[in-house]
This record gives sequence, structure tokens and C-alpha cells, in this order.
Amino acid sequence: MREAVTVQVGGFANYVGSHFWNFQDELLGLADDPDADPVFKNDALDMDVLYRSGEMHQGIPTYCPRLVSVGSRGSLGSLSSSGNLGQTSASADQLNVATWQVYKIACANGSGSVTRSVSKPHGRNLFLQSLVEEGQNPSTSNGASNSQKSVEDKDLIDCLENGVNFWTDYSKVQYHPQSLYELHGSWTDFDKFDNYGSAQEVVSDWSQIEEMNERLRFFVEECDHIQGIQFIVDDSGGFSSVAAQFLENIADDYTNTPVLLYCVRDPMTLGSSRRNQRVSIMRALHDAVSFSKLSSFCNLMVPIGPPSLSRSYMSSYLYIQDEKPFHASAVCAAAIHSITVPFRLQRTGPSSDLAHSSGNLDIGELLHILSDQGRQNMVTALDVAMPAPSLTDRDAMGNIEMKLHSLTPEISDEDEDPYSVESLVDFHITSERLVYEARETKPKFSHLSASLCPLPVPLPFPSIFRGNIGRHGEILSDHAEESQPKGSLDIESIPMAARLRSSSAVLPFIERRSGSLQKHGVARGAIGSLVLRDWGFGREEVEDMAEHLAKLLGPFHPEMDLTSDSD
Amino acid sequence: MSLRVLNPNAEVLNKSAALHMNINAAKGLQDVLKTNLGPKGTIKMLVGGAGDIKLTKDGNTLLKEMQIQNPTAIMIARTAVAQDDTSGDGTTSTVLFIGELMKQSERCIDEGTHPRFLVDGFDVAKRATLEFLEKFKTSVVMGDEPDREILKMIARTTLRTKLYEGLADQLTDIVVNAVLCIRKPDEPIDLFMVEIMHMRHKFDVDTRLVEGLVLDHGSRHPDMKRRAENCYILTCNVSLEYEKSEINAGFFYSNAEQREKMVAAERRQVDERVKRIIELKNKVCAGNDKNFVVINQKGIDPPSLDLLARAGIIGLRRAKRRNMERLVLACGGEAVDSVDDLTEDCLGWAGLVYEHTLGEEKYTFIENVKNPRSCTILIKGPNDHTIAQIKDAVRDGLRSVKNTVEDEAVVLGAGAFEVAAKKHLIDNVKKTVKGRAQLGMEAFADALLVIPKTLAENSGLDTQDVIVSLQNEHDRGLVVGLNHHSGEPIDPQMEGIFDNYSVKRQIINSGPIIASQLLLVDEVIRAGRNMRKPT
Repeated sequence: MREAVTVQVGGFANYVGSHFWNFQDELLGLADDPDADPVFKNDALDMDVLYRSGEMHQGIPTYCPRLVSVGSRGSLGSLSSSGNLGQTSASADQLNVATWQVYKIACANGSGSVTRSVSKPHGRNLFLQSLVEEGQNPSTSNGASNSQKSVEDKDLIDCLENGVNFWTDYSKVQYHPQSLYELHGSWTDFDKFDNYGSAQEVVSDWSQIEEMNERLRFFVEECDHIQGIQFIVDDSGGFSSVAAQFLENIADDYTNTPVLLYCVRDPMTLGSSRRNQRVSIMRALHDAVSFSKLSSFCNLMVPIGPPSLSRSYMSSYLYIQDEKPFHASAVCAAAIHSITVPFRLQRTGPSSDLAHSSGNLDIGELLHILSDQGRQNMVTALDVAMPAPSLTDRDAMGNIEMKLHSLTPEISDEDEDPYSVESLVDFHITSERLVYEARETKPKFSHLSASLCPLPVPLPFPSIFRGNIGRHGEILSDHAEESQPKGSLDIESIPMAARLRSSSAVLPFIERRSGSLQKHGVARGAIGSLVLRDWGFGREEVEDMAEHLAKLLGPFHPEMDLTSDSD
Repeated sequence: MSLRVLNPNAEVLNKSAALHMNINAAKGLQDVLKTNLGPKGTIKMLVGGAGDIKLTKDGNTLLKEMQIQNPTAIMIARTAVAQDDTSGDGTTSTVLFIGELMKQSERCIDEGTHPRFLVDGFDVAKRATLEFLEKFKTSVVMGDEPDREILKMIARTTLRTKLYEGLADQLTDIVVNAVLCIRKPDEPIDLFMVEIMHMRHKFDVDTRLVEGLVLDHGSRHPDMKRRAENCYILTCNVSLEYEKSEINAGFFYSNAEQREKMVAAERRQVDERVKRIIELKNKVCAGNDKNFVVINQKGIDPPSLDLLARAGIIGLRRAKRRNMERLVLACGGEAVDSVDDLTEDCLGWAGLVYEHTLGEEKYTFIENVKNPRSCTILIKGPNDHTIAQIKDAVRDGLRSVKNTVEDEAVVLGAGAFEVAAKKHLIDNVKKTVKGRAQLGMEAFADALLVIPKTLAENSGLDTQDVIVSLQNEHDRGLVVGLNHHSGEPIDPQMEGIFDNYSVKRQIINSGPIIASQLLLVDEVIRAGRNMRKPT
């Protein structure tokens, strides 16, 4: 077994992570459930890769994600930062005591009086309450009360659809006390935490950075053979600066441990940025700087977050409301879950039975395949098919290629790169087929992992499926057009396919960032140079970053002389 | 004007309104923190959104926890926290002093004084007070053997303002011993060499000083000893786990057998390193009952752990980076980066190494070391908020002892300095100042009294009574402070109440600067926000 440690930094990253761990929790639950579909029961997926077992002070065994989650203060909602392990319901009841979160000295009015604003404690929503109750009397979930229960479940889903304010609102996972960390920028306004420079105060506070390192060390120390660290970051704001600092320390402390970085983004943060020139320059610079900084401390980078999921190709099967991070993050989490499946597949020896799965791969190998072969490119595009077309269907054969749609923003559509390298993960494949038949240019190298086990849809998954999706994620051709989107009550599981692709498709993504840094930051008299100085970058640092970006572009222009790309 | 033209959305708050906003913000912040000053100050309870509780009266912690939105208040809070960063204490005093300066100025301004005169007065008064402080301070000669008593008094004064008396007195010894342990003559004290470790276990009075080190992890092999005496300690940063040598290197093999061979070859390198360590162990431990402990900053994988365990070596992996430095200071020897030429000189020594398990958490104690230059303060407490409270207090206590050692001076506490300084300003300095700047100086002198006043107020005493009796004693030429139990004047020297010289100096330095700047503000312009209307 090779352990992986997960790190989540930033608001949207935690939204994605919460869905991700819900999937894992559902898989664990289904493996134990006697009524569940037998595909979930095969032990091809080794959950110990992501989870750790421990015990509490009272000696009760626990099974928690090996996770460090970093968020801003107050982003945990009703969850306590010491995790929810061993939390009794008695302590939950005490929440009803009127509490104030913090003093607020807000005297914006002329008189300047001190107001102590009393903020209401965040109550648990219906879903979390039901989890607590379930923990207390597990006997209620037997068959007799089934009909009544499904009505209740409907309420829970409605409650989540209508009001998710925190990522913890729909999380059903138990977190280890070391997992959750809240950043407290003393006077950093986390509402305006929207550019690289805004995190200066947080990053310069060494005690917070050290605390994050300590927590990561706690999880790494107990790993016998760590296969790598997967790092999910919300790079749309100041958290990318926090993450860059964190990644730099990881690179120092765990030299040979591969780091796989997913940069996730809320679709809303990209959409509404066309306000005025100054704001758009700030955004462009932020994108460039955070891309440059983050990419310099990881081994493979996967940008995720198309500008709008509701208008993407996927909208024929999925009904996604962009303004809800609850929705958008679910798709990202499903994609990340698919990518991580090969890390958890059992190593297949010659004697093992191949019926369940094939194509085990660990993080290091994946990075090696994608970024070291062909051209040395470390930025990859993520494509996903959700739901994946069934391969038992002869007509759909070869179709999977067409059904994969990119989640990476700003990449080119044409994909005829002879040097591209890719890794494809497909689950719920029932028969092995050659996927690449339909393709004109075959990639230089391709790795295929497959598993029988589909993506289970947990109860707190948003209702984003359109009417043409069947109970097990099959695409129904003869469905009546329904307006009501289907959710976790109607759909049990979804087959997924996901692909990481290192090809020239990501060229525009890098070029844009490199270009905007050149134009706004490096060029003489550029408007953005003042902004960069505010963020604490000297001229030389900016030039270094620009050079780093140019170096990333290098592999795509083999004809270009390496010495000439510095200007 | 140009600004307004540039950004038509900018809102403007001018003249007296701006000044009053600043004054009110300063007063507001003062009001919040004033009840927390001194040993009799009360505690604030901070409750998070999810119901987690923090109890504190440490000004620094409070300011960091508060959400301050007013720009003036933020400026003051920043000054106060900077005060904490440089000298480790005096956050509350800074806020109170600035607030009081603003309050006294307000009176003069309402009577028509121009802020400029006040600022000039502050400036003169500040210089005079600093000069007076030089005369007033009590020198302490540190030399090779510092006076333990005076350090204890300083630490006690600081700790008693943060914790209840019994615990504070217990921590006093711990803190003083910790600083003296890491102190090297003629070198600045590096407080990082005191490890602060906490365990949720037993009671707060079980907090103790470990002369040696406590690590927050244990060995990961069932056969390794849980307790060993007379140990050699090898501190190293060597990877003892099988990993691909370089990310860019891959295996190229054509059949399974070849692959096995390659893997075995890679594995051999790791085993080789482990064997080197075992060789050293066999050399130094042959024929005696000594033990051997390896503490590695990098990982140790199960096969290597197995080899070590079979050789009777205790192995700990993934030690904190900072602990590598501490280990060398505590146990001696040196931290090695390669196992190529290991000799006995590289090894440290500890009399006792044992593991303590609490639930799933393991702690390794390394104790009975010779000549420790690094130590651990082990904080115990039944719950998280007690631990957090002690942690903050210990931090401040350490800083105050460090300051004293470095300043080689202390200042009489319990408000004695402030009363004496006021008397000095009014009696001697005021005559030398001409014109209306005298008003500023007077305001400054009055503002100094905020410390004894607040101390009295927090002890439930009558403020005016106390101030008058203190001033009377000073007029008779006695230097006295406030006894917060009885309200009577006392001699702080006899009671052992001392403050840090550098803290006092910093307060007197930074307070008037920020207050002057705030007083001279005549307009507040903020883009996109109306300052006059409540938002």
C-alpha cells in the first residue's frame, strides 16, 4: 500500500474536497452494506491509501481522511475546527446559547461608536442534524421506516439545494482534529481576499505557516511509503499565495515526494470580472503570478474550472447552476475522484484476477508519464465524461473520445498533437475495447486504467442530472422531457471517464498568463508594475517569474532557442 | 482636490469630523481592552461560530481575534501588535496609552487648541520621559551568573497578569530556568530553542520543564524499545526509505526478472545506509549496556525500521526541522547529512529516552542530558482553552525574561514609573517649554496616569483616591506603586514588581507617534464608501 496525503487550500477547494470525501465515504458505506450492488464490494479500491485508522482518547477506533484542509476563519460554519470526532450531541445542544463570534469594531459612521456585533452561531442545517440523530439511534434506519425515511431524505435534499453556505453543510465525513485549520489574518478581510497580494499578512505570519506544516507532518510521519501529495487549491484569490508558501515548504521538507496540484476555481469568479481596466489588469496579473508561483513548486499542475458549466457541452446531461458553488464543485470533485482511482487500485500481480480493474498507477508514475515523456510539460488538461457512455453498447464504441469534455479553461479545441501523452481512467467498463480507434492522430503514449466500480452518488450530492439519465447513469434515449433535475434519490451511481492530457492544447492557457505578465508587469512603464510592487514583488522577482513562464512555454516551441526567450 | 476629481466615488470626511472619528475609535478600542489590564483584570471569552471557546486576557491575542474594521482602530491595533512582536508584552498598555492621549487631547481641542500645539507638546514630553526613564530604571548586572531572583520577579509580574496566581508562580520558575538553560554568554537569546509542547492530559499544574526534548511522535516499529537508558543519540537527515532516485529517471526493463533486479539494486543502497548506522552502533555499544537512538528528519521505511529494530536501535522518522537544531543543542553531537563517515563524535548523549502514549498520539521524551542548551516546556491541561491560555502566557513570560537579560535593566512596576514620570514632567520640564505646547505636555503627563488608574479600577478601588495618595507619596519623595489588594501605596521594589525596560521604552516611543499622526489628520478619504453614513 502506498499512502497519499491530501491538502485542500481555499474556499472552493474545500467545497470540492467536501464532495470528494463524500464519495469516499459513500464507497466505504456501500462496501459494508449487504444490500448494495456487488460491484462496490470487490476490494479493488484500497481506501487505506486516502484514509488513516487511529483511535480516540477513549479508545474508540476511528477512520479519517488523511487530509489537511486550510480555510479562512469562519469558513467552517457549524463544524468545530477540532473536527467532529467524538463530538457528543450534548455539545451540539450548547450551540443554542447565544454567542458572539468576535467583537467587531465597526465605526464607519461619523460618531465612531464601538459596536459589539453579536453574530448568531451557525446552526446545523437539517442534513447535519439528521446525521447527528442517525449516529445516536442507528436502529431507525431499518426497513420498516423506509417509506417515511425517503420522504425525509427529500426534505434534506431540498434543504441542501436551497441553502449551502459552508462546505461543511453537506459533509458527512468525520474529520481528524488535526485536519481542519482556519487561517486568521488579523485584519485581513477575507471577503476581499481576491488577489495574490491580499494574503501578505497571512503569509508573513510564520506561526501560521508553521502550524500548517506541522499538521501535514503529522500525517506524513505515519505513512510508511508515501506515494505523493495531492493538493487542491482555490487559485482564484489570496489562497494561491498561501498555497504557494505551503508548497514551497513541502518541496523543501519532502524532497522526493511527488506533488500533484489541482487548481480549482469557482465559475463565478471568472465570469464577472469585466468591470474596469484596473480590475481586469489585477485579475490578469493575479492569474499570471499565481500560476507562475504555484507551478514552480509542484510536479504536475491540473487547472480545473471552466468559465461556465451551465453553458458547456456537459449541459445536455447535467443541469448546473453556476452561481452555486455546491453544484460546480460536485463536477470538479467527481473528476478528481476519477483521476485518483488508479492510485488506489490494487497492484495487479501476474496471479491476480483482472476482472475488477486494471491499470494501477501511483502518483509518481502518473507524473512521470505525463510530464517527463514527450515534451517536458507539467501543465495538463483535464477532460471528463459524466456520465460516460456505456461501452457494452456497440454503437457507442469509440464514442468515449467524443464525450470527454474539458474542465480546464482557456485551452484550444484542436487536439492533433503528435506528442501528446495521456492517462485515461474509466470506470464501469464491462468489456475491454480499444478506445482510440476513432482517432486520427494517436497520442504518443497512453495509459488506460479501468475499474468496474462506478461513482456512487451520495445523498448530499446536488440534483444536477437531467431527466435523460437513468438510475445507474445510463443515458436514456427515450425519455420524456422532464423539467425536474434528478438527484441522489433517483440516481445511484454514475459511470465516469476522465482523462489527463498533456498536449499542446494547454498552450493558450500558459501563453495568456505569460503574455499578461509581460504586458502588465515586465514591460517598461507597465500599469501593473505598481500593483506587483504592492503585492511585495521586486522587479527582479517579476522578471524571474516571467522567465519561469517562458520556460514552461519552451517545450512547445522546440525550435526556439532557449536563450532568446527571456525577452 | 485632485483626489476627488480622480475618483468621484471617493467619500470625504473632513475637519473636526475626521478628528473625532479618530478620537472615538481610539477611545473605543481603549474601552474594550481596559478591563483586561493587570493581575486583577477580567477575562474575555471568545466564542467561535461552531461554539469553540477561547478565554483570554492577553491584549495581543484579543486584538488578533477581533474583527476590526475601522481604519483608525486598525492602525492602533497594528502598533500594539508590533509592540508585541518587538518586545513581547505591553499590548494592552499601548492601546490604553494611545486612547488616553487622544482622550486628553480631545479636551484641549474642544477648547479650541490647534492639534499642532498638542503634537509639539507630545514630542517634548516624549523626549523628556525617555530621558527620565534612563535615570529611573534599575540596572541589573547580568554577568556570567544572572541574578535569578530579579528574573523571577520580572517573570512573575508578567505571568500574573495572564494567569491565576498559583499557576503563574509555578510557571515563573519554569520560564526562568528555560531561558537560563538556552542562554549563551555574549550571544543573543534564541527563544526558538525552547520547544513548547502541549499534551491534553492531567491538569494545568502538571506543566513542567523538561531539560531535554519532547518529540511529538514515536517509533513506528513494534519491536523497538519503549524505554531506554544511557542512550547515544544520532541526529541525521538521511533518507532511509526506498524511493526513486530522481523524478526524471525511470526503469527500463524487458522482463520481470530484470525489474526485480533493478528494484533490489535500488533497495540495496538504502540498506547500505542503514548498515552504516548499525556498524556505528555496534562499535560504540559493544560490551556495555548503552543504547542507540536514531532521530531522522527524513523518512524511514518499514524494511529499514526492521533492520534497525533487529540491531536494537530505536529509530524515529520525520522529526521537525527545528528539532534537529534543538537536539544537537540538548544532547550534543552534530546533525549529519550523510552516513559516509560516522564517528562517535557525531553522537549526542541522553540518560533516558522513553515513549509516552496518549490515545493515538505518541510522545518521545529525551531527558537527563548533559549540559542542555535547549529545553522543552511541556504544557499540560485538561482542555484546549486552558492549554491555549498557558501557551500565550509562557510565550510572554519567556520574552520578558529574555528582555531583562538583554536590557540589563528593569523598571519599577505597579504604576510607580508612570506617577514618577508625571511628577517629573510637571515639576521640572514644563517650565522649560514655552507657549501652548505646554498644553500638549500636560495632556501627555495626564495620559501617563492611565496605567495606575486602570489598575485601580480593575481592582475595584476608587481611582481618584488611589491617584491622589500615590501622588502625595511621590511629592514626599518616595517612589511608590499601587497595592492592588488594599489600594495603599507600596514600594514595588520590596514587593518584587518589575516591568521590562524595553517594553516601557517602546510604549513611550510608539504611543505618541501614532497619536500625533491621528491628531493631525484633517480629512479621511475612502474610495467608494460613505464615511458619514452608517453602512
